[in-house]
Amino acid sequence: MSSLKRITKELNDLGRDPPTSCSAGPVGDDIYHWQASIMGPPDSPYAGGVFFLSIHFPTDYPFKPPKISFTTKIYHPNINANGNICLDILKDQWSPALTISKVLLSICSLLTDANPDDPLVPEIAHLYKTDRPKYEATAKEWTKKYAV
Amino acid sequence: MVENTDQTTQNEQERRETRERLRLLFQSLNNSGNNGNRSNDSMLLQLLSELIPEDLQNEWFDSLADKNDKGCKETFVSSLPRVSINDILKQEIIRNPEIKAAHLNCSICYCKYTDDDYPLIAQLPHCGHHFDFECISIWLSKNETCPICRDNLTSHKEVIDTSNVELEEDWGMYG
Repeated sequence: MSSLKRITKELNDLGRDPPTSCSAGPVGDDIYHWQASIMGPPDSPYAGGVFFLSIHFPTDYPFKPPKISFTTKIYHPNINANGNICLDILKDQWSPALTISKVLLSICSLLTDANPDDPLVPEIAHLYKTDRPKYEATAKEWTKKYAV
Repeated sequence: MVENTDQTTQNEQERRETRERLRLLFQSLNNSGNNGNRSNDSMLLQLLSELIPEDLQNEWFDSLADKNDKGCKETFVSSLPRVSINDILKQEIIRNPEIKAAHLNCSICYCKYTDDDYPLIAQLPHCGHHFDFECISIWLSKNETCPICRDNLTSHKEVIDTSNVELEEDWGMYG
């Protein structure tokens, strides 16, 4: 099975039936390198922001997960300064039945419901658990500064 | 001049050793899962991920994944039951009466089974999810779970099929 065929299929499906709050597609001629965007969920401190991500497909996709990272700065317990995302389905819980569309939706829900017990940035996770209003204020501020 | 070269060689040697130690630490932390002190581990890992270039981290992470001796036995995979499109249709129609053979696809490559003149479809025991035999063979060579429901295929006891075994009627009578 070729990764090229599967990636092309996903691209066509995204065009035919696009998810409401995300978009994704190749950056240039290289079909293995995509850019995606996610709208900050309305019920989160990221509301009103548009966040860009870069997606790299491995040549043995979908048997290995795509490499996805935020290129827009974001204040979140599971996303670090390099834009790396701590999400199980992008690592050991990857399944070849997952698609970019499903993964982007999972990242959307991660924005609404952070996972402070498995943090990538311990300081933000600590604030999230101990002073939620302050975390939300900072996240809103960063959204306004970097994602609007 | 000679002294200088010696110095460089020594530095290089030290750097290589440091790098090796870092690699081992990084990989053991990534591999520790739920064992050990999680909060300390994640703080150390965070520190390391800030120090180590991202490309190198990915390389080490991937080599760790390849090293993990996971995957189903080849004999298990090759003995998976093969089913026909009609077999699957009969099962799926119970859940969705509208379904047609042309709708059925493999959840790994997302190609319709009917696109293939002679589709070779495998069905997993227990959960019953079906895939192109080729697709599921590749996945199970390095993994042990169903791509759809994550049922661990190695967690079930092997059932020995006794339905076709002929019982010898006069067992124990001789010898």
